[in-house]
Amino acid sequence: MAKLERLLNLTAVLLNTERPLAADELRQMVEGYPEADASFRRTFERDKDDLRVLGIPLRVEKVPATQPPVDGYRIPADEYYLPDPGLDADELAAMHLASLTVRLEGLGDEEALWKLGGLPDDGGPAGGESLADIPADPRLIPLFSAINDQVPVTFDYRGTERTIDPWRLSFQRGRWYLSGNDHLRGEERNFRLDRIDSDVARVEGATWMAAPASEASGRTLQAWEMGEDEALSVRLLVDAGRAEVASRQLGAATSAEAQPDGSVIFDVPVVNLDAFRSFVLGFLEHAEILDPPEVRDDLINWLETLT
Amino acid sequence: MAAPSRPPKPTAGDRLRRVLAIVPWIVANPGRPMAEVAERFGVAEEELIKDLEVVWMVGLPPYTPDSLVDVVIEDGKVWINYADFFSRPLRLSSAQALALLASSDALLSMPGTDPDGPLARALDKLGAALGSRSDDSVDVDLGAAEAGMLSELRQAASEGTEVEIDYYSYNRDDQSTRRIAPWRVSSSGGHWYVEAWCHSADGERIFRVDRIEGCRPTGEVSVYRPDDGEPSTEVFHPRPSDPRVTLRLQPRAGWVTETYPCQDITVNDDDTIDATLVVTAVPWLERLLVRLGPDVELVDAGDLPEAQSMAAGSANRILGRYRS
Repeated sequence: MAKLERLLNLTAVLLNTERPLAADELRQMVEGYPEADASFRRTFERDKDDLRVLGIPLRVEKVPATQPPVDGYRIPADEYYLPDPGLDADELAAMHLASLTVRLEGLGDEEALWKLGGLPDDGGPAGGESLADIPADPRLIPLFSAINDQVPVTFDYRGTERTIDPWRLSFQRGRWYLSGNDHLRGEERNFRLDRIDSDVARVEGATWMAAPASEASGRTLQAWEMGEDEALSVRLLVDAGRAEVASRQLGAATSAEAQPDGSVIFDVPVVNLDAFRSFVLGFLEHAEILDPPEVRDDLINWLETLT
Repeated sequence: MAAPSRPPKPTAGDRLRRVLAIVPWIVANPGRPMAEVAERFGVAEEELIKDLEVVWMVGLPPYTPDSLVDVVIEDGKVWINYADFFSRPLRLSSAQALALLASSDALLSMPGTDPDGPLARALDKLGAALGSRSDDSVDVDLGAAEAGMLSELRQAASEGTEVEIDYYSYNRDDQSTRRIAPWRVSSSGGHWYVEAWCHSADGERIFRVDRIEGCRPTGEVSVYRPDDGEPSTEVFHPRPSDPRVTLRLQPRAGWVTETYPCQDITVNDDDTIDATLVVTAVPWLERLLVRLGPDVELVDAGDLPEAQSMAAGSANRILGRYRS
């Protein structure tokens, strides 16, 4: 009880002050600190840690006009307060329901919803059964912060150091990806978070290139759409019995011509031939690459090594 | 969030989190019933009173009565005055913001969700409050499915009714019509699955929703529920009698060990990987071998001697198509 009261008073004083306050000033201003110097120091250190663990932006700055300089503390109001998103009750209830049904492993917590105003009166989340648990990755938070702060990052990826202007984190087919402008290639690339071999370091002060406004967001990229090969359009024939399954996997971006016998010819954009070959072979003898000849020959050669 | 067990004695830090969120809400919503506030923040009313008793002692120097926070509880209702420094909650941490955006985006991208509904509006507003592109910076796709199919299956699961499905089994490479009693629909690894009792197989089965080609309610009520009541998260159900094979994989085929459940994974000196896989369906193995091609070698066919000639047989069948 005494500790909670002291932490609340300390937060109030630090939020209210115009200039950084020295530890000795805080000792006088905030009730509940021990008399003895040593135990005051220990208690004050622990209090600072407690505030930081909560995510309170505690700034350490020199107290003006002190010689030798003395450390002072304050909490900048513009960094502390959550701007009010102005959620209506139904919107808050919808967000509650979302965080109950889809959980990001180890990251969501009820405090986030308290900050937005708790559970609205009529918003008892009906049907809040769990639909999915999304795995988290240790690189998610530093990358998310860099996206919001518009700061480039560097990391090691498959043995090369890459510098990226990070644009978006996406969870597709069970994995997390980062998309952004790759300085090495000079264009957009996707990176699997679990293949980043190092810590993510921010390149503070560097110029960050924004994502092009036209960039289509939200579409799931298939494995053969993520790669470094030259872009090709491949004509693929899939038999009637498998055409519907193929059509779902290829997605709406692929044009399809239905044939009289029920089979379908797809024009598939491919930048990763290995992944595309693997996809086609999944249909066994129920699919055939028609064009271009070099892709057709590549598949024939692959099969001939097996016979 | 559903916290099944609350720690018996919250620490000062835990209580500080709660107080810093509750006080601004009461300041902005004066005179609301204590019971409502307690329910809204998921805290017992006695706990809430204890928290507010502390808040009443908080203020700025010189701590004279007029510089302290004023908490009034009357007729079961609560007001807080003179708490300007706690007029807004603490901003969201990066982890909190990411989790909220990810959950909301995942539900929004689920087939059948209203793209202009309350959740979409909430996400827009939160994104705007958090910063320039926040609501566009996270994109979660739980899997492809037809909207009607997904809602049909979820309804059957929640009502306990049966459906008849036309299912394409990728593993067995065949199509069948089955009568199933679903009890759970969920997403895992980027695909939607329905867990059900399958009358055709006379056992529990898991079906991938994007491989269901048709779905019709039968009107029958299902009485079946899994024994343990625990939702099964294990999508793969090997039986002890299923044959096992050992493959030697080139390093670039290492994804196999990340994708399929493997036993006894050994990395050899030349970086090739030996892994033992359970074969629940023979066409699955056939396809895996032909897809991996020169990147795989069958080290031990175990109880499945036909595996030796499987890749060659299926390569010849496919080549027949290209040569005709």
